[in-house]
Amino acid sequence: MAEKIITFFFLLGSSSYLFFAQQFAFGTLNSPKSGFLPTLSGILALLLSLILLYNQLRSNKKVVLDKVNWTKFIFIIIGLLFYVSFLNIIGYFAATFIFLFYLFKVADTEGWLMPLLVSFSSSAIFYLIFANYLSIPLP
Amino acid sequence: MDILNLLLQGFLVSVIPGNLLACTIGVIIGTLVGVLPGIDTVSAIALLLPFSYGMDSTAALIMFAGIYYGSKYGGSTTSILINVPGEAASVVTCLDGYPMAQKGRAGAALSVSAIGSFVAGTIGIVGLTLLAPPLAQAALAFGPPEYFAISLVGLIFLSKLTGTSTLKSALMAAVGVMLSTVGLDSLSGISRFSFGIDELDRGFELSILAMGMFGIGEILTTMTQINTATDIPLVKFKDLYPTREEWRRSIVPMFRGGGVGFLVGLLPGPAATISSYLSYALEKKCSKNPDEFGCGAIEGVAGPESANNSAISATMIPLLSLGLPFCGATAILLSGFMIHGITPGPGLITEQPALFWGLIASMYIGNVLLLIINLPLIGVFVQLLKTPLHILMPMVAALTLTGAYSINNSIFDLIWVVIFGILGFLLRRTGFEPSPLLIGLVLGSGLERGLTQGLIICNGSIWAMITRPISATILSLGVIALFYNIVRWFTKINCAEEKVNC
Repeated sequence: MAEKIITFFFLLGSSSYLFFAQQFAFGTLNSPKSGFLPTLSGILALLLSLILLYNQLRSNKKVVLDKVNWTKFIFIIIGLLFYVSFLNIIGYFAATFIFLFYLFKVADTEGWLMPLLVSFSSSAIFYLIFANYLSIPLP
Repeated sequence: MDILNLLLQGFLVSVIPGNLLACTIGVIIGTLVGVLPGIDTVSAIALLLPFSYGMDSTAALIMFAGIYYGSKYGGSTTSILINVPGEAASVVTCLDGYPMAQKGRAGAALSVSAIGSFVAGTIGIVGLTLLAPPLAQAALAFGPPEYFAISLVGLIFLSKLTGTSTLKSALMAAVGVMLSTVGLDSLSGISRFSFGIDELDRGFELSILAMGMFGIGEILTTMTQINTATDIPLVKFKDLYPTREEWRRSIVPMFRGGGVGFLVGLLPGPAATISSYLSYALEKKCSKNPDEFGCGAIEGVAGPESANNSAISATMIPLLSLGLPFCGATAILLSGFMIHGITPGPGLITEQPALFWGLIASMYIGNVLLLIINLPLIGVFVQLLKTPLHILMPMVAALTLTGAYSINNSIFDLIWVVIFGILGFLLRRTGFEPSPLLIGLVLGSGLERGLTQGLIICNGSIWAMITRPISATILSLGVIALFYNIVRWFTKINCAEEKVNC
């Protein structure tokens, strides 16, 4: 089922892409324009996803997927979204420290002191490397 | 003789302390990347791109190359000891490496793997030394139609060779080409698919896509897996000696694997992985005791491990001579070149001989370093396997996001890293290989330039474009591969229908 959903997602994506590609001039074979390759690659992706989806719908083969802890997956995504959203607001060090500590707890790291210490020291080391050694302006 | 002189000059460049240090750091990181499951070569190089900003460009590229070929040395360690391949190219090593470990011959398997990697790696680098310069010379005659043909055939071969479904790989490659068209069109200057978002005018950066799909995607996969702890056997230095019989049985497979790996490395696709499977099949065919395979045959370790290292050197030939990456890792290496303002391709050897030959010479040195590092320090790397993933993965995630931010100091890039990370995770779960997407993104711009400029040069005549001698030769290979795929696909469908009818 998941396989079919992903293929359907690509079918929708390539259809949308092809639709927007029509906004650009296709040109001629003598003088191809900016819509030339987008149109061709869009058609190709659309055809491939159609054939693939057709195959998947016809096939009775059951795909056995590895077991995944979806709760952890959701929590990791929340952590990633927090980091991206708050990096500029609370600054690099604070955001990285909170993000690391949060991920340690999501990953079932035992205790509080060790995750706190590792999060703090890692954030400090990363900050020193990127801001001082590489002179990258971190928020 | 001329090549020998140039190589000697290269050695003079590669033994400069800074370059030698970069090579050592690269091969150590590469070994670590190979040893630790959950971090692969592509994400490791993508992750370290920002660290190279302050480095001299030659040193940076030497380090990246070291990570690339070093990772194949480390990949076998986990395959042999705990039956978990650290790298895709070491999957096949599990088949006989792990049974050897169960019989108490882990040390012998590890040393044969390291020595085989060294022997075949050297064969590959010799091939690279001899083949890359004439190929680059020949490539000076290539025009847009030839580059279009190479890019197109590269994508066709890639769809066939990723090991997953051909259709899925082809779709991924097409999506990669679609993504390559986002941003400013290099020919007309028109902004495409950016929907008024200025950041999208830059297009999708390869390193951002790689960090997302391979870095965050891998972290999500590892952290959400429900797995059990594994006992790691202790390997002492004195256990590393193979018996005389093991030596005798390993030498020919090492050289055979080296040859197989080199030939496969010249083709587009995940050469290291494919060559290891091919080598295994070949060793089984050539063996007097094929029944031993799967139960701890040392040829099953020596051949594949040699093949994947030789393939790595061979994949550098199209990258350095033509500027075309044929696998995910060389695509990200290309990104490393670009970040340092270096364009690999026919002009590299003539315009930057010190860099080109220095890089090749460093590979010889790196190969020796890997042998020195891997054999005595095997115990240290085994201890590293005990690093808890619940500590390692969050730190890798934070480092990946920091690295991604530092490329353009852009939150927008971080958003894409997260999106690509989720997509990479879902793709892997459903049997789609992300590598063709990466290659599609890289080859897409060259494909478009070659196609549009080629058509203009040939006055819109596709026939004239595809009948130029070099284009015709390259495209013929692509057509044969495509025809073979289509025939196989129909055969499969017919077989499936016959089974249903039965």
